[in-house]
Amino acid sequence: MAFFGFDTTLPRDRAAPSSSRGMFDSHDPFAGLSRDAGDDDNVLNFDDTYDGLGNQLEESGDTFNDDTFGADQPVTRQALGRDFDFAGETARVRDTLLEEQVLHNARQPMQFSYAQRPAKPKTGYEAYKEPEYIPKLEADASIWGKPMGRQAELQAPRQEQAAGRKMMSLEEVEAMMRSQPKAAPPAPQTMESQSQGLRDMLGVGIPTGPPSIPAQQQQPQQFPTQILQRPQHPSQAQQMQLPTPDYGHRAPHVLQRDLPPSRPQSQDVHSFPPQQHMDFQQGPTMGAPAVQPPRGPARHQMGHQRGPSYNGPPITQAQQMMNMNAADRETYLAEEAKRAKRNHKIFLLSKNNGLMTPQDKNFITRIQLQQLLTATGGIDNDPGSEEQLAEDFYYQVYAQIRGPPRSGPGQPLNQFAQTYLFQTGSRYGYGRSRHHPRGGDNHVQRMEQQVARAVEAAKARPKNKQLVVEGSLGKIAFSNSKTPRPLLNFKRPDATAKNSAPKETDRKAALRDIEKMYSTLMRLEDHERRLPPPPKEDSPPDVIEGHMKWRSEMQSLNEQLWDSMKVLETQASPSSPHPFIQILSHGKGKKAIPRVFRHLDDQQRLTMLTLIAIHLDSLDVIRDAYPPADNTPLPARVKEEVELFNQAVIPPLFSYINEAPLNIIIGMLGLIIDRVHLQSIVRTKIGLSILTMLISRAELVKQAASSFSPAQHEEWQQWTELYSRLFDIVEPVLPYIFPTDTNIAAADDVHVWQFLATMGVGASQDQQQRLVLGVKDRVMETVAVSKTLPDDMAARRLGDVNLFMRAIGLDVELLG
Amino acid sequence: MLFFSFFKTLVNHEVTVELKNDISIRGTLKSVDQYLNIKLDDITVVDELKYPHLSSVKNVFIRGSVVRYVHLPAAAVDTPLLEDATRREAAQTAAKAKQG
Repeated sequence: MAFFGFDTTLPRDRAAPSSSRGMFDSHDPFAGLSRDAGDDDNVLNFDDTYDGLGNQLEESGDTFNDDTFGADQPVTRQALGRDFDFAGETARVRDTLLEEQVLHNARQPMQFSYAQRPAKPKTGYEAYKEPEYIPKLEADASIWGKPMGRQAELQAPRQEQAAGRKMMSLEEVEAMMRSQPKAAPPAPQTMESQSQGLRDMLGVGIPTGPPSIPAQQQQPQQFPTQILQRPQHPSQAQQMQLPTPDYGHRAPHVLQRDLPPSRPQSQDVHSFPPQQHMDFQQGPTMGAPAVQPPRGPARHQMGHQRGPSYNGPPITQAQQMMNMNAADRETYLAEEAKRAKRNHKIFLLSKNNGLMTPQDKNFITRIQLQQLLTATGGIDNDPGSEEQLAEDFYYQVYAQIRGPPRSGPGQPLNQFAQTYLFQTGSRYGYGRSRHHPRGGDNHVQRMEQQVARAVEAAKARPKNKQLVVEGSLGKIAFSNSKTPRPLLNFKRPDATAKNSAPKETDRKAALRDIEKMYSTLMRLEDHERRLPPPPKEDSPPDVIEGHMKWRSEMQSLNEQLWDSMKVLETQASPSSPHPFIQILSHGKGKKAIPRVFRHLDDQQRLTMLTLIAIHLDSLDVIRDAYPPADNTPLPARVKEEVELFNQAVIPPLFSYINEAPLNIIIGMLGLIIDRVHLQSIVRTKIGLSILTMLISRAELVKQAASSFSPAQHEEWQQWTELYSRLFDIVEPVLPYIFPTDTNIAAADDVHVWQFLATMGVGASQDQQQRLVLGVKDRVMETVAVSKTLPDDMAARRLGDVNLFMRAIGLDVELLG
Repeated sequence: MLFFSFFKTLVNHEVTVELKNDISIRGTLKSVDQYLNIKLDDITVVDELKYPHLSSVKNVFIRGSVVRYVHLPAAAVDTPLLEDATRREAAQTAAKAKQG
């Protein structure tokens, strides 16, 4: 059953009379209706509908066909005449059409935006986009009754499209299409006289453009008006008499594109000096009258080709442009493309113009500002301020260290509000000021006021996170992204109470110590950043006072830092390591040393170094790094720690020792020899490094000093004595100080050779021999192994050995 | 704000965002906001065969709440600085908690 109750079943499908209905066939209450209406009449029969016209045809009545169609001779152009040669005639006037197009394009370069208009809603402000806007006094097209102008518009796009087909890039085609509606009017001028006939032909001017160009069908309303006004133009007739093959006009037209667009077109044409015609004409001068006759029919037939069935040869602007010289064409196309691009951009930018009222915009702006303020937790954090740094520490410092990220938000967050405001303000200012200079300013002012108010509001907002409205039972909790609404709200016990808790000397305590050290360190660094400019003699007293204050603050922070390092604390119990050594046993403790070291004074540095020297064997990088008895490699974690210690702690120590006087070196080495089990620590990398550091400094001092004062002489005596003691202790373990976890080829033993080299420099003749004896095996092995290695590796291995060999006046070369 | 601050420094670096629905999207981080919503450009889905409907997508906006992990480019992370930043954040939070 169809929806409206029509019976859609065919008669043969219809149910048989109800008596023969099957059990489940429902009775069709409407079945009778259609049957009553016409029984089988509604079956369409060819015989019933055929009007029989074909029968009236006289099959033998083709006697005069030959006369009509000329069958006995081949149909030639001559025989046929030119009456139906639409395409040919069109081709003849093509040039004129093209000229008109270019001319028109040239005249109205600024009005392209008309073409875009149909796509967007009319705002009433479009005209302001034209730089030289003059309000048009135009009549409503409907006065003339028939919207015939539309037809004229239709063909122009088609011509243009055809023109674009040949040799233009996409952009250029775009440019063409964009400019089409403007190019249209010339054509209507020439065909004005045919308009009536054409209208009749097409069925009273109803626009039926080819479906391929639907967009162009919606033309701006001005066109009909302009077109219909044209005939009243006095120069119209003259223009139509322009010689058809006047190619010369093209170049000038192109070049004259910059003429003021408001200039009447036809005047332009006639403003050409006569000799200009001559210059560009090809061949003998063809006067207007001479060409006039063929034009009549041509124009007439143009009318035909504009019908929907037009299939004639493409009327190409490209063709015309080919006749220009290359440079002209190039510039023309380039300009055209550029203009098209610009127009397209303007179009894209302006297609939503007028969608929002100023009030809407204000509203949105207010919301956005509010958002900004809430997001950043208030604008009271000025850029670069303490709070701001605290909020955005990582980004700020990272940007300072590595340079600002390439296209990230260039400014710190809180400048957003200002930047945002500024940009928006200026945009408004520029855009509006052309026509409404006051209005733009007002808008910026209003925006500024708004921001100011928003900032005020943000500042005035209650800082506490809860609001109890009077008379209500509940609480309102504020939250923003920075301070989310607390789900649990409890008071923390005071930190002092925790401090009095019994001290644990375990890992956790060390970690806590490290964190305390770090936070003190960061406070110190922050304070350092706030260094006031150094006061001068004539500085005002408050500046000097400020500086003094800074200094004293710095001093107290330094003391806090020193305390937090726990260097001077005593061991809680003899079994547990010193707190500072515990700090050093953690990776982040080691990493802190170079940063802390900067802030320590000389005495503190020496104290720290001494402490390390005394507790060398309890340092994790030594304690855990003894080579295992079974020659297995050290655990990766230990290796990492050793590496970290080498990179983080050794450099500051080294820099200090490198400037230390000899007595400090002597004292230090003495302490190590007395307090530490040297034979063990020389088997570790860090132990060797520290010893190397001390001995090499002593040797350098010795070499730098040319003459000894008695006091110095005494010191040297001391040093030589100490060195001998060291040598005696180390000598028995010399063969074992090389790392054993890998084979010789891959051994990481540079530090050992360095140590041996420094030992060798200061050694006496006898000691040198003993030294060589102690490591002879290793030297020979390394030289032997290096012969089997690739060249670069071998050179490196031999270079390592040579460190030591040269120190005692030998060379691996001597070993053959 | 630590994470916001941190992710801001990764703008224009390539990251892989793993969503809570197990899709992993690799792309250039274009922007991030305080909700850690993420904008990625030139994206590729890690398991493209499994999510063919995303193969034609070039850029995405990811709501922060649906992100499970962000795989970071190690070279673009300054670990000591990040540690310090974390300490500061912790100190601030502690101070705030103490306040009330």
